[in-house]
Amino acid sequence: MHLTVKLFATYREGRFEIADLEHPDGSTVGSLLDALAIPRAELGFVLVQGRHVELDTPLAANTTVSIFPKVGGG
Amino acid sequence: MDKLPQPPLANVAERYSRQVRFPAIGAAGQARISASRVAVIGCGALGSAAVDLLARAGVGEIVIVDRDFVEISNLQRQVLFDEADAAAQIPKAVAAANAVGRINSQVKAQPLIADATSSNIEEILTGAQVVIDGTDNFETRYLINDACVKLGLPWVYGGVIGASGMAMAILPGETPCLRCIYPEGQAAGVLATCETAGVIGAIVSLVAAVQWAEAVKILIGDHQHLGRGLATFDLWTNDYLLATGFPRLADCPCCAQHRFDYLEARHTSQTTTLCGRNAVQVSPGHPLRLDLAELGRRLASAGAVSISPYLVRLGVDGHEITVFADGRAIVKGTADLGTARSLYARYVGV
Repeated sequence: MHLTVKLFATYREGRFEIADLEHPDGSTVGSLLDALAIPRAELGFVLVQGRHVELDTPLAANTTVSIFPKVGGG
Repeated sequence: MDKLPQPPLANVAERYSRQVRFPAIGAAGQARISASRVAVIGCGALGSAAVDLLARAGVGEIVIVDRDFVEISNLQRQVLFDEADAAAQIPKAVAAANAVGRINSQVKAQPLIADATSSNIEEILTGAQVVIDGTDNFETRYLINDACVKLGLPWVYGGVIGASGMAMAILPGETPCLRCIYPEGQAAGVLATCETAGVIGAIVSLVAAVQWAEAVKILIGDHQHLGRGLATFDLWTNDYLLATGFPRLADCPCCAQHRFDYLEARHTSQTTTLCGRNAVQVSPGHPLRLDLAELGRRLASAGAVSISPYLVRLGVDGHEITVFADGRAIVKGTADLGTARSLYARYVGV
């Protein structure tokens, strides 16, 4: 299925800012993170179409997935 | 030299006239702002930007808590401080309170040179109507979250890194708390810091502005206009997104079960790496009041020592150890916790 994936803050380093990707049908948010080698220890939250989702949420085609690390500086 | 005419500082109505003309605030809102007390925990980049806005808005009393001192590398983004503060290495809480006095002498600034810990956080927050997060680490944020949920006190989270930032108001019992958003505690040494990833001043201004606005809405009772989500920003790629849909977790250890893991630990970690610095803070983990003059005399045989009313600094073995009156030390020249603990034990004593 086709997904638009947006990465934020430090997750962009060595990856991308925004990309159109193909990902297996029926897969979950967690599997997308695995495919992108996103380390869980830094994970803040994931949004689909701007709304928070859990890692076991099934992904739907043609949606925008936004992935944020925890942002801790101040 | 002739003195310049003094502005009519006593004319409160004129001072806040533009803010009062903003209908959402008005005279009643201004009165509530002027009668309020806000605690700002951490006065680095976000904290100093928030204090600046709070002081100009006429918040009655601002409690400013910070454990660190001003350095030249702060000035790019920490708007309350200047070169003189950095040259004199003034504690940030004191420098910020001094700046508040120059900006708005009608505001009472209460500086506290201290680390916010489980031992003191509830006392620090007593009497505040809202708390602003100016910290640079999640351990302290979880502690603030615990204390605010326990006390039923609203607080406003903020975080920045690079050109990215986020902010969200947390109303205990009404909106998701920090542990609903980030259920797991944060392991040390995992997250990027300002040192590794950098940070630009403009994102600090933006996030602090959101924190200020949310705090003022809370102060004047305008909950209707609070953001219903986590506001996220990237100033370099122009991504501005309100993240919504966060639930209040039914099993949240903090706001559902009222298990305050960070508050009830009764001691925070003994060592903390400092954001943006090759440095470690070592805390004695118990209340302490050092005689700095005596400590300075004792350390003089070990290396180059300088003393101010607020701190003692020792240069030794390629490191710089700055000790505050509450027994905390900032060990510069290492990011290794064990090295810092060892230096602390060797020179400050445990």
